[in-house]
Parts: sequence; C-alpha cells; structure tokens
Amino acid sequence: MSTNNGTIKINVWINDERLDALEKAGMAQLAEEAFAGMKLLAIHTTEEQKDLLLQRFAGAKYDSATTKSIELLPKHAKDKLLELSIQMHSTGPEVTDRFLQEA
Amino acid sequence: MDYVGHNGKPIVERVSTAHAAAQIKDLTRVPISKATAHEVISLSYGFFTPLTGFMGPREVDGTLDDMQLPDGTLWSIPIVFDMSTDDIKKLDIKEGGSVLLEYLGAPMAIFDIAQIYEYDLERMAEKTYGTTDARHPGVKKTMSYQNRFLSGDITLINEPVFNEPFKSFWLTPKQHRDTLTQKGWQHVVAHQTRNVPHTGHEALMKQAWFAANEDLPIDTLKTGVLVNCIIGQKRAGDYIDEAILLAQDALRANGYFRDDVHKVSFTLWDMRYAGPREAIFHAILRANLGCTHHMFGRDHAGVGDFYQPYDAQNLLTKHREELSIKPVFLKENWYCPQCQEVTNSALCGHDATSQSFSGSVIRSILTDEVKPTQRVMRHEVFEVVMDSAAKYGEGSPFCTEEYLKNRRPVFTLDQLEGLDS
Repeated sequence: MSTNNGTIKINVWINDERLDALEKAGMAQLAEEAFAGMKLLAIHTTEEQKDLLLQRFAGAKYDSATTKSIELLPKHAKDKLLELSIQMHSTGPEVTDRFLQEA
Repeated sequence: MDYVGHNGKPIVERVSTAHAAAQIKDLTRVPISKATAHEVISLSYGFFTPLTGFMGPREVDGTLDDMQLPDGTLWSIPIVFDMSTDDIKKLDIKEGGSVLLEYLGAPMAIFDIAQIYEYDLERMAEKTYGTTDARHPGVKKTMSYQNRFLSGDITLINEPVFNEPFKSFWLTPKQHRDTLTQKGWQHVVAHQTRNVPHTGHEALMKQAWFAANEDLPIDTLKTGVLVNCIIGQKRAGDYIDEAILLAQDALRANGYFRDDVHKVSFTLWDMRYAGPREAIFHAILRANLGCTHHMFGRDHAGVGDFYQPYDAQNLLTKHREELSIKPVFLKENWYCPQCQEVTNSALCGHDATSQSFSGSVIRSILTDEVKPTQRVMRHEVFEVVMDSAAKYGEGSPFCTEEYLKNRRPVFTLDQLEGLDS
C-alpha cells in the first residue's frame, strides 16, 4: 500500500461515515488522531500536483508555513479523493494523479 | 444617561433626518463606496468619537507621528476621504462648501468640506502599518487611494435600514451604553472577532470574563462579555458575516454563556490588519461602546508575519495611561491531550504535545462539513454555521465570489420623499 511518497498533504477529515468506509476497506488505521479527538486521512501529493490543484480550485490554499497541506479544497473534491483512495487502497500521489485525470 | 467615550469626550452623534430633502436640495451629489459608507455611519453615530468627520492633514500628521489628535487624544489609524483631482474639478468641489454623499443611488450624508489636500501615501502606509510591502492588505488599501483627500464634518441625513440577521445585532454607541446599563453590567469586556467561535475562542472569552470581573461580587453578576463583531469588507475565504453573528450568538442561546453575561453586536469597519495600531483603534472603539475592559490575544488584528505575536499587547502597554479601557492580555489557548481539555498556554505545561487551534485547521474541518468534536466546536454552533452557509452563503460558510456578488446587503438606504432623484 502506497502512503507517503509526497511531502505535501491533503487532509481529509474523518467523520463516522468516512471512518466506516475506511474500516470496510481495511484502511481505518491510516486515519490518525489529529486534533482534539478528530481524525484525518492524509493523502500525499507532489509539488506538481499541488500546483495543478491550486490552479483548478481557485479557493484552495497551500499552507507552506505550518501544516504543509493544501487547504480549503471543496467537499466534493475531498469526497472524490477519499473514494479514489479507498478504491486504489492508497494514500500516495497516484490517488491525486487519478483525481486530476478524472476531475 | 452619561454618554462619555474615549478620553472623556462626549459621544458624537451627528444625525439630522428632519427636513432632509430640503437640506440637500441644491447640493452636489458624490457617490461613495461601501467602505466609505461604513465610515460615514461609524463617524455619524460616534463609533469614532471624538472624530466628527474625515481627517485633515494636521490630524493625519498627529495620528501618524505621535498617535495623537491635535488636542492630545490618543488616535492610531487615519480616517480619510480620498478623491481624484479630476473628480474634484468635475464636481466643482471647493473648500468651505458642502456636498451630498450618496450610496447606491440614495442620499446618505452631508459632507462639509473644510480642506482639500494632498498626502504622501507611502508615508501614510509606512507609519500606519510599519511596512510599505504591497502584500499587506492595509498597505494595498492606502496605496490605492486617489491623489487628493477631503476633510470635514459629516452629518447623516438618512439612517441605514439593516437587513436581518444584522438588524437584530445593530446598536449605535449610545444604544450600546443604554443596553449595557439595562443589563446592570458594571464591567464589560469586549471580544473582537471576525470568526465563528471554536472552543478556544469560547475559553478566551470566559478567561477574559474572570479577569474583567476583578473584585466585583458574584452573588449578582455585574460583568458581561460584549462580542463586538467586525462587519466590513470581505475577502474570499473569510467567514460570511451572517455565520459570524449567528454562531457567536449561538453560544449564549445554547447555554454556553448565561443570558445575563453575554451579548453580541457589531461595528461596521473595514479591517486594516494594522496589528498594534489596530489594537489601539479597537480599544478606542470599544471604549466608545461603553466597555470597561478589552481582551487582546496573540496576533491581534495582524496579518501574515508582519507583526510579532505580542506586538499589539506591547503597544497597548506603552499607551496604557491614554486608554479609556483596561486591556486584558491573554496567551493563546490550545487543546491538551494530557489535560484532556482546552486550556491556556500560560498555564498548561504540556507544550510538546499541545494541539493548536490554527485557523486553517478549523476552516479545513468546516469545509469538509465534518461535525467537529465538542472539544473543537459546540455542535449547536456547527449547526448554525452550516445553516448560515445554506441560507446565506450558497452552501459555504466562507466568502466565495458568488457570495460577494449576490449577497443580500447588510443595510439599505431609503430614497427620501420630496427629493427628485
């Protein structure tokens, strides 16, 4: 299972529904406790993918100072990324690759 | 009722709606922007007491060089009215004359022009913001001013009609004071915000309440928190105004604050992000609303990395004797997994495992529409934020281009009867 080939992350926050989907895929352990009892799944991206995402989603921002993550991607994009992550059994850059191809 | 504001000055109220049509009949009409309309309202009702209008060069010089108005009153941000020389010529505006300011085609205020002057924009930016870096939004605003400024008194002749939900939270400075008196509050601590509240904010307000209560008895509570939201120019990604007001109020409505210790209102003001100088300005503003204390946390009114986290607190300390309000200084709150609570970094020693309430983390959670844990945000607050997003934000709790284009205005102005349009 590919996980952290990139250093830039997209944080997908995990609610009960999303956790259930991850559990069914045997990926629940990838959702890490991140903040005050909240879990997130980090999908890793490359520098090039980051630039493409920021071009495609004008409202998104890259937090280079603290979290090194792409923030404010719309919910539908996060839902799709999570769906692909489960489908591909991965949290590596190939997930974002597929997302960029399909979106 | 004694309406005394900043530096012991009587609260300014320059509103004259009687016979307005006759007053303005022959005046030249000058259309103004939303930002200027906000300042016209704030000047007219006395939010900016002791200012009675837009500043002249002497007031601007004093503000920039010494943080003082000509009479020695502490003041930190220039309040100016800009116009191009072409427009001044075209509209035949002259010193000693008066013009009618109109907003969105409706008459709003009379502007008695005292002086027309030029000012060095770079100096104004550098002194106000401590930088001329064009990435600073305040610098950007200053550098985009037209090449002349007009000074003089403002008189509101047409009062704004606020739309809901703003109408429920609107109070003039005198109305603020009447309301605080009715509540029996002897001490009032202001909380400045442009955010929907997470539990870190809630804890700051509660800590500030204890600090502000000082030695007042607690059998009958006589201290309140005034959550005075800043409603003004928005940037894409900011929280929508409606969500800010309604979510702050949800803390009281759902018992996280008692009814008798919490009140939400707002001020029309376009944030300058001037950090320390803006903190001084906020202290002046809230003194005019009748607050006795003002909470200042980390990075107050700053932007990016232009200011150090406690620059604002340091400047307030320097001018402590000139303030008409007592600052309450707090460090940031964090969530501590070891303490298992939201706690203040001044008290909790688990620095290595602490989890910060970063704005981007909260925004990221809300964007995903994932209900936060109670330790992050009250569920009722989250519901209000999401309801506001659906009702006012075209699905988003954050300002989008669509929201900025299509939003229902905060206020409107009626056309005046008896006035030919």
